[in-house]
Amino acid sequence: MGPDGAPGQAVPWRKVLWERQSFPDNYVDQRFLEELRRNEGIRQYRYWAVVKEAGFVGQQLSCVAIFITFWLYMEEGLLTPETLLWTSLLCALLGYGLHQALTSQTDSCSEPRTRLADLQSAAIFLSFTFGFSPVLKTLTESVSTDTVYAMSAVMLLAHLLSFPYSQPSPPGSLSLNAALFASVCLASRLPGALHTFAMLSCALLVFALWPCLLQRMRENAPCQFTGMCVGVCIGGVGGLGSQTLGGAVLLSLALVSVTLLCPLLLVWLQRHKDNIHGPWDEAEIHEDLSRFLH
Amino acid sequence: MVLKVFFPQCCNRADSGLLVGRWITGHDSAVVLAVIHYPFIPGQVKQYIQQMQAQSGVELTVLGSWSLPKEGQEGIESFLRDLSTIFPQERWLQIRRQMGKMGFTCEVLNRHQSGGAAQEKAKKKKNEEEEEGGGDGEEEEEKVIFVHYEQRKVMLSQIHPIDSGETDDKTAAPELKQMFQTVARSQPLFFMDKYDDGPLKSTHWQSDGREASILVELMKQASVPLCLLLSWLLNMWTWICDIRIFSLLPLRFLSSKLSTCVQLSHRTEHMRTLSSPKAAASHTLFMRKANILVSVLVDVALGVLLIWWLYRDDHIAMLANMLVPAADHVARKLEELLQWLMGAPAGLKMNRALDQVLGRFFLYHIHLWISYIHLMSPFIEGLLWYGGLSACLGLSFALSLLSDMVALFTFHIYCFYVYGARLYCLKIYGLSSLWRLFRGKKWNVLRQRVDSCSYDLDQLFIGTLLFTILLFLLPTTALYYLVFTLLRMVVVLFQGVLHLSLDFINSFPLFAVGLRITRPYRLAEGVKFRVLCEEPGSALHLLMEINPLKCSTVVQTYRTPTYSCYPRDSWAALVKKLFVGELIYPWRRKTTKAD
Repeated sequence: MGPDGAPGQAVPWRKVLWERQSFPDNYVDQRFLEELRRNEGIRQYRYWAVVKEAGFVGQQLSCVAIFITFWLYMEEGLLTPETLLWTSLLCALLGYGLHQALTSQTDSCSEPRTRLADLQSAAIFLSFTFGFSPVLKTLTESVSTDTVYAMSAVMLLAHLLSFPYSQPSPPGSLSLNAALFASVCLASRLPGALHTFAMLSCALLVFALWPCLLQRMRENAPCQFTGMCVGVCIGGVGGLGSQTLGGAVLLSLALVSVTLLCPLLLVWLQRHKDNIHGPWDEAEIHEDLSRFLH
Repeated sequence: MVLKVFFPQCCNRADSGLLVGRWITGHDSAVVLAVIHYPFIPGQVKQYIQQMQAQSGVELTVLGSWSLPKEGQEGIESFLRDLSTIFPQERWLQIRRQMGKMGFTCEVLNRHQSGGAAQEKAKKKKNEEEEEGGGDGEEEEEKVIFVHYEQRKVMLSQIHPIDSGETDDKTAAPELKQMFQTVARSQPLFFMDKYDDGPLKSTHWQSDGREASILVELMKQASVPLCLLLSWLLNMWTWICDIRIFSLLPLRFLSSKLSTCVQLSHRTEHMRTLSSPKAAASHTLFMRKANILVSVLVDVALGVLLIWWLYRDDHIAMLANMLVPAADHVARKLEELLQWLMGAPAGLKMNRALDQVLGRFFLYHIHLWISYIHLMSPFIEGLLWYGGLSACLGLSFALSLLSDMVALFTFHIYCFYVYGARLYCLKIYGLSSLWRLFRGKKWNVLRQRVDSCSYDLDQLFIGTLLFTILLFLLPTTALYYLVFTLLRMVVVLFQGVLHLSLDFINSFPLFAVGLRITRPYRLAEGVKFRVLCEEPGSALHLLMEINPLKCSTVVQTYRTPTYSCYPRDSWAALVKKLFVGELIYPWRRKTTKAD
């Protein structure tokens, strides 16, 4: 029943429901679907901007690779735990200094943490880890190696998948916990309690503190941020390459696909986008609720 | 309208006279209790009836007249009919029977009709309907049904279900219940037998002479001083128990846990019920007293039998010599079990450090326990000897003592179970909370639901460490918990069996069941009717037979209430408690409720 089916009526058809009209119920006139809008408000992606954002994902991947490199070195015995500990301490201090330097430029933090609170946190971390490291050492003694590797791999994958790439500063619970679980599993395979302690401190640095620094850099020094990402990626590939060539190849392939291929795919597939909007959509509240927060 | 007349079988061949009984309120029925014979003086009859009414509390009246004419007794019918004017009633029954014939004939005279007119009308009707006969009454065409009952059985019987507290309101009570109650309460009416020299002669079930048994009378006489003695003894015992020193908290706690003390207090309550010197007021009280008495006697008899078996042939020494090696054997088996757990039990991978810690801890406990048993071993024979004497108080005491001894000897298993369960419970609780932290969620106590929560860095870090540790140590703890829970369940089951049999001895109504088997008419569930004679010339005659109560209903109705132990949780709740690690005390004690 289209517009042709109706007889010529003196009274025009109105699009109302409450009035009994002489037209059939499913009658539509020539103004049908004139309020349909297609692809309204979609973003236009530019390739290099997307590549820059995807670089962050690649960077995180390389972080994980660097951590695994450290572990491989420790297991082979090429790296002593004392060396790792001192290096971690140095890097932590450097990072802290950089973090403070970047913060003092933007003085609009909601909650200024005092140096004392930071020291307290650091003390808690170190004492707990040191105290529990003998227990942690013997945790996976009775579990077979394959199980440990499988569990760690799954947990690291979960970490990568649930990482809050848009806002890494308050660390996402699941991602941090998964990374720490994986590091405990791997660390318990090392020969001594001090090794475990060193590995865990390294894990804390890489997974908990490094994203905070990156967030600061992203906010305040974007160009350096990009450079840092690239550096980390190269470091990851190189580190893995010194131990396992296959791993390095795999990592570089993954990096290339994530950083270069996937944005290309995203941009290229935009042409197939076909969203329709109209007055039948659900209402969205665009009100700015931040005025309630003060 | 149908009028039911309950007629006792003993009065079927009684001489002519007046019918004494009661009209059942609210129904169209009458119960005939006795027949007072001619000759009598109406004034004396009235006096006698008032006296009986005062003694028994039943509303007795003269219901009507009964005539069974023998040779040389003509003309009595008209005399009997004139009596309706002397005893003014709402309705007057005139029941007649011919010798040799089975059926009765009955006429019902109503009061509001004048006497003469009624008689003429009756005569006219009889002339008209002579061929047809029939026991019909006046213009209302009242049919009469005679229900014959055996008076002695109905008097002794109690109809169930018994409702208490409905003594005054008889208007709504059902017909059968009223009839049974009437017969049961008219006992003073049945004391006058044919050997009495009183002015009146009556016929009822006991009119051939009252029977009594010498033994029953002697026991009734002897029971009063016995009850007094018993109550004095009980007072002494309660005075001893109420001494201040026994109400200190540790002793009180201990006495509430030991089943011997509980059983003792329970029996004291029973004895208190028995020792009241006045007779039982209602049927329920009488049955309860009888049940308690019989059960106590049977209990003591079984206990004495047990003592006789225990103390001959030196059985006590044999038992004592068996006990310490048995305890040693149990301890050795436990040690072997722990050694097995400390290795790689069933191929499961345990965390070695924790395994060693837990295993050594429990081994040390067992060592302590064995030393304790060895310390006690010289005293065991004496303990058993004196403990066995307590069985003279009853088999139930011996059972409860056995249950307590089992509890004492397996105290270490109970301790291990508590340690294992607490450790496991803590672990499960910690794990569930930390798992929520792992996912970034938190338990909202106010809303009783899981909410998302943003944790600090340190909280996350420490939480993940602890979660990892607890998770990897879970299999070890779970295995220890499982093993000790199983052991504890075995002990609990055994104790449960003992307690169930104890409860059975305490509460089973032996007297009621015996009564049901030997004299089934005393506990009635209802009645059944059988047609006796349905001649066309007379009214319908039915025989009422008592339908005894089913045995299962007897047990259910007359069970003595006890502190029965029944399972506290359903199976699903039990499994859930086991899984979470809550301590399980599966048998709940119900406190006795006053009836």
